[in-house]
Amino acid sequence: MTNGWVDIKNTDMMLIMGGNPAENHPCGFKWPIEAKRNRNAKMIVVDPRFTRTASVSDLFCQIRAGTDIAFLGGVIRYAIENNRIAKDYLLNYTNAAFLVKSDFKLPADADGVFSGFDAKSQTYDKTSWNYQGIAGSGGKDSAQGYTLGAAAHPPSGAAPSPPPLPERVSLDLSLQNPNCVFQLLKKHYSRYTPEMVERITGIPKEQFLKAADLFTSIRKDGDIKKVATIIYAVGWTHHSFGTQIIRTAAMLQLLLGNVGRAGGGVNALRGHSNIQGATDMAGIFDNLPGYLKVPTPADTDFDAWAKRITPKPAKPGTWDTFNYWGNTPKFGVSLLKALYGDAATKQNGWAFDYLPKVDRNYSWVQLWDNMYNGVVKGLFAFGMNGVAIGPDSKKNIDALKKADFLVVGEIYPDETSEFWRSPGISPDEMKTIQTTVYRLPCAGFAEKDGTFTNSARWLQWKNTALPMPGDCRLDQAIVAQIFLRIRDLYKKEGGKFPDPILKLAWNYTDPSNPSLADVLKEINGKALADLEDPATKQQIKTGQQLPGFAWLKDDGTTSCGNWIYCGSFTEAGNQTARRDASDPSNMGVHQGWGWSWPANRRVLYNRASCDLEGKPWDSTRKQVWWNETAQKWVGHDVPDFKLDSKPKDHMGPFIMNPEGVGRIFGPLAAFADGPFPEFYEPVESPTENLLHPQQAHNPVVKKFRTPDDKYGTVQDGFTVVCTTYRLTEHYHYWTKNNPMNVQLVPEPFVEIPAEMANDMGITGGEKLKISSVRGHYIAKAMVTKRIKSMLIDGKKTYQIGIPIHWGYRGIAEDEGKTARTLTNSLSPTVIDPNAFTPEFKGFLVKVEKV
Amino acid sequence: MSSREQILPHGRILRYQFHERLTHWAAGFSYIYLLLSGLAFWSPWLFWLATICGGGQISRILHPWFGLVFVVAILFMYVMWAAQMHTTEADKAWWRAIGHYTRNEDDKMPPAGRYNAGQKLLFWGFFIFGILLLVSGLVLWFPEWIPWNLRFLRYLAVLVHASSALITIGLFMIHIYMSVFAERGAFGSVIRGDVSQEFARRYHPAWYEEVMGSAARRK
Amino acid sequence: MSQATLRIQKISAHAGPIPGEGTQRESEVCKLIDTTTCIGCKACEVACMEWNDLPFGATVFDNTYQTMPDTRWNYWNLIRFNEHETEDGSLMWLMRKDQCMHCADPGCLAACPADGAIVQYTNGIVDFQQEHCIGCGYCITGCPFNIPKFNSETKRVYKCTLCADRVSEGLEPACIKSCPTGCLHFGTKDDMKDLAETRARQLRDHYNFSKAGVYDPPGVGGTGVIYVLHDVTEPEIYGGLPKNPHVPLTVKLWKGPLKWLGNLAMVGGLIGLFVHYLRFGPKSREDEDLEASKPHEGAQP
Repeated sequence: MTNGWVDIKNTDMMLIMGGNPAENHPCGFKWPIEAKRNRNAKMIVVDPRFTRTASVSDLFCQIRAGTDIAFLGGVIRYAIENNRIAKDYLLNYTNAAFLVKSDFKLPADADGVFSGFDAKSQTYDKTSWNYQGIAGSGGKDSAQGYTLGAAAHPPSGAAPSPPPLPERVSLDLSLQNPNCVFQLLKKHYSRYTPEMVERITGIPKEQFLKAADLFTSIRKDGDIKKVATIIYAVGWTHHSFGTQIIRTAAMLQLLLGNVGRAGGGVNALRGHSNIQGATDMAGIFDNLPGYLKVPTPADTDFDAWAKRITPKPAKPGTWDTFNYWGNTPKFGVSLLKALYGDAATKQNGWAFDYLPKVDRNYSWVQLWDNMYNGVVKGLFAFGMNGVAIGPDSKKNIDALKKADFLVVGEIYPDETSEFWRSPGISPDEMKTIQTTVYRLPCAGFAEKDGTFTNSARWLQWKNTALPMPGDCRLDQAIVAQIFLRIRDLYKKEGGKFPDPILKLAWNYTDPSNPSLADVLKEINGKALADLEDPATKQQIKTGQQLPGFAWLKDDGTTSCGNWIYCGSFTEAGNQTARRDASDPSNMGVHQGWGWSWPANRRVLYNRASCDLEGKPWDSTRKQVWWNETAQKWVGHDVPDFKLDSKPKDHMGPFIMNPEGVGRIFGPLAAFADGPFPEFYEPVESPTENLLHPQQAHNPVVKKFRTPDDKYGTVQDGFTVVCTTYRLTEHYHYWTKNNPMNVQLVPEPFVEIPAEMANDMGITGGEKLKISSVRGHYIAKAMVTKRIKSMLIDGKKTYQIGIPIHWGYRGIAEDEGKTARTLTNSLSPTVIDPNAFTPEFKGFLVKVEKV
Repeated sequence: MSSREQILPHGRILRYQFHERLTHWAAGFSYIYLLLSGLAFWSPWLFWLATICGGGQISRILHPWFGLVFVVAILFMYVMWAAQMHTTEADKAWWRAIGHYTRNEDDKMPPAGRYNAGQKLLFWGFFIFGILLLVSGLVLWFPEWIPWNLRFLRYLAVLVHASSALITIGLFMIHIYMSVFAERGAFGSVIRGDVSQEFARRYHPAWYEEVMGSAARRK
Repeated sequence: MSQATLRIQKISAHAGPIPGEGTQRESEVCKLIDTTTCIGCKACEVACMEWNDLPFGATVFDNTYQTMPDTRWNYWNLIRFNEHETEDGSLMWLMRKDQCMHCADPGCLAACPADGAIVQYTNGIVDFQQEHCIGCGYCITGCPFNIPKFNSETKRVYKCTLCADRVSEGLEPACIKSCPTGCLHFGTKDDMKDLAETRARQLRDHYNFSKAGVYDPPGVGGTGVIYVLHDVTEPEIYGGLPKNPHVPLTVKLWKGPLKWLGNLAMVGGLIGLFVHYLRFGPKSREDEDLEASKPHEGAQP
């Protein structure tokens, strides 16, 4: 989230799309309700189904799964056409006025792809996706965009180095230049007419116009005071173009001037209590903690790596830019000091050689594909039910059959640990499966302490509520003991390269069972020498906890396990355990509650909540402001800005971008699949791409090639659009072991439109077989008016929905009361090229009675 | 009923055979339990009666079962006596002379048969309202089984059950009064089964004539 | 459950004055359910089961998100889900938390024959005291909201207590505590009515629900649980919320006029028969007198 849960109460308008917070985030949903109750805020819900969120909305649009970009693009067009944009914000805080290279081409002019596409390798040469530099600047040696994305892909590790951003970017503040971002944007989305939106999404034109009008009504007649928020979840990420959907939302919010403002922003609702924390702590293979880009084999030493991942400022015209990622080497060195302690020295490049180098894509789906292909030999599955949660369950089960070993740490026997008992495997075949399965009893969430990082980036410490039963062990104890034994083996037997293991810093009070408070302290980081702030003369002694990441150094005098978490556990104690609910500004800031990264800041980019002079756009919702007397930025929230940067210097509020402004145009390597989001059909779609039939799908998305990877078409009889989701009453795949949850929703079901049920003679409760080209799923029919038939390009199309929560182990499953199939038997192995998230939503199935 | 055995050796007339008496007391005792437990449910001032009947919960559990016993008993009675309970011209005359009856001027009453019109009323009263009590009682026995959209059955049942019970209570009081207090010998007729010839002649002259006449013919 | 700390204001089938009547005054408590902000998350269902230690029961899929068709003796709090198409063809998915309404004039209490089995505390909570319950089920008939549920094993009837145990300790009911959106509120009846009216006005003025209003049915004297509805003119669309609930007429007749009439008749009958006996005596003195064939001997002139 750019903002936070509580901040939603400050909004005037909500677009909830690609998410179903009432059902999946009911506790956080109190804040949208607060906004409705206290501010008369309006709520628009766009979803394939009329959900429980829709039930409290003011306007609902039923959209075909996977067509979100068409809808949002249509809203962008509507906002521009009707002049419902935040002109001053757009001009000064975004790259709308930036001039783009003249050889850049939009898909409308290039057969449905952007300029630079190589059809053979299915990749883009992004040279033309760049700004025009002011003559005499740019070119020779400045850094590239910091996002690695594509660089992680090439197997050899020889990342082709794209050209850098210009040092000074040309602007057209009149926004009239046909090559300026605004004009390109206008041109690009001019094709997303209400008629086109209707044909693609299935939302009737009138309904779409109502939604577009309502959402953009906050900028009616030049009003800048009102704020709209966009709230989404995995309904946007579960697509082969998921990142680009979120991009479209971000662009719309920049266009309307809603980012950085209380009640605004682009707000991702994370699907688990600590998913944000997992992401922050390198949950994705191409990140190190704190979103530092992981080294590749091409990064031969620390300096090469640091140079590659540290952007240089690209100043727009005469404007200033902070380019906070310019501090990357400080974060990198401090991380290596945290990892390897004294073994990391300036002489050995901070032990950079110990860091694993990522030579290819190790994302979720690739791992299973590699296991299927015999490359990955074993798997540690902790706190996740891999067979059930990944796409194409059969492929995952087939992959596990080929593995040597599987270690599962769980609180229940789950589908993964019993993959060899999955339906369809005969007793004879079971005997042939040679995978050794180790099942480790782990602790449940209430049996562990530690922090959860919520969607709002708040780290909140929790205490242990219950003792662990039986022989259960904490995750960190299991990991520590495995580590200590491997280290002993290396000590005894040596090995090819023992140093990364032998020299790993392991300074915990109990090395075999590190306390999570110890770990959090390590993550926060400490001073390795006496430090002094030259401006304030504040001193920090050797060994003291660091108060914040501003103290981090690239000379080896600080260690920090994750720079964005620096400040969470200081000399003042565990900041994440704070529980001061006071909120003097009544803006939902709660500075004394838990701790929010970065720097306990609650709304990111909050400089953008003020006009150029540093005065809040809306004086009733003051977040931060320029204090002329003190000559610095102050506020209810921690200013997300260079504190002493005077408004007249025109430093951009988006300090993490080298150009300092919000990116309506995503230059260079920011995205693998285009600087502007373009609508592409899901990999399995019921219709041709109406914008460009010659390019139906995301051009850089590659299909997988094992025998289990099959993709269905309408011609094969798969005519129904299927989406998958979770219910309030269940939590992923483990509450089927809890009688309370089972009582609430006892059996798997499939939601089908009443009209479709009528056509097929299906009555509620009847057993259905849902098949995709990959597998089938059996469940009872829930016949509902909440999904209606759609006209997609004039053709009647049905859409169904399947909740994911069942499998072959659980109360009802064990008693033989349910069909013991997995929803993800249906979903395809295909992933978003930026975030590598599988396309769980919007694939094709057929529906039959059992 | 055959009249052959109605003159007993010691000169008394057999009025109720054993199975009739048994049925009567099955009905009688079950009715008394129903009455006491029913009254306990009827009014807070009488709730203490539930204690006599085994306590509140037990009363509630037994009440419907005694109800079934009672209904079975009156069904037996129906089988045994219904044929004798048809209203005759004599009954109409009897009703017209009811004033004499209440003033104990039995000699001014038109001759009654085996059952006088009042007894016939008692019979039909208990039979009809017994059935109503049964039907409404079944609804009240299992109120949780009555679907919500048929709830009017419950609404009807509480009224029907209470009203029917009240009517039977009225009949019951008269019945007890007549048989225990007013007509000496009547009580004995449902214990021993026989009545004196004088009793028969006095209260059921037509029946007496019939019994004596047929006895004479047989001789 | 017995709550010694709460004072009783009405009591079922009790002879004599209400125990502790008039010793102290207390304001009525009230639960406000804003159906327009209920998201059907069922947290209240779970909280109710957990706080009241209700045992699990089996459920089956029934073509709905609703946990079960009706509340049960061991499931006192149920959100009713209803898909409703409005006149203009748009869809509403109505969610209404169903539980005991804690009527000011409780039909269950009126119908109950067992001494002290149903009480209404001075704070308005209507509570079943299972130790006094005789299991007759008259409360089921008396209730216009289909709330009391019979347990055929214990032969007693159960329902929502409005967490009288929590309320007596100054806590809110468990459902209120668990509600994530704040669609549930708890406080004095006056405060809740105010809040409800304010919300209804907001719905009318700002959210296009011109018929929004507060459900506090006068037929049962008002309720200790009140609803804000999008359309107060059609409460039936919320899973059969009765438009004008009242204690069934027959129950009123039975517990009112019929009772007095019956009592009068019974007492009158007894007196009448007694007087008749005093006046006329038995029809004959003794059986033996009759044997003597003396007419009129048994009758008084």
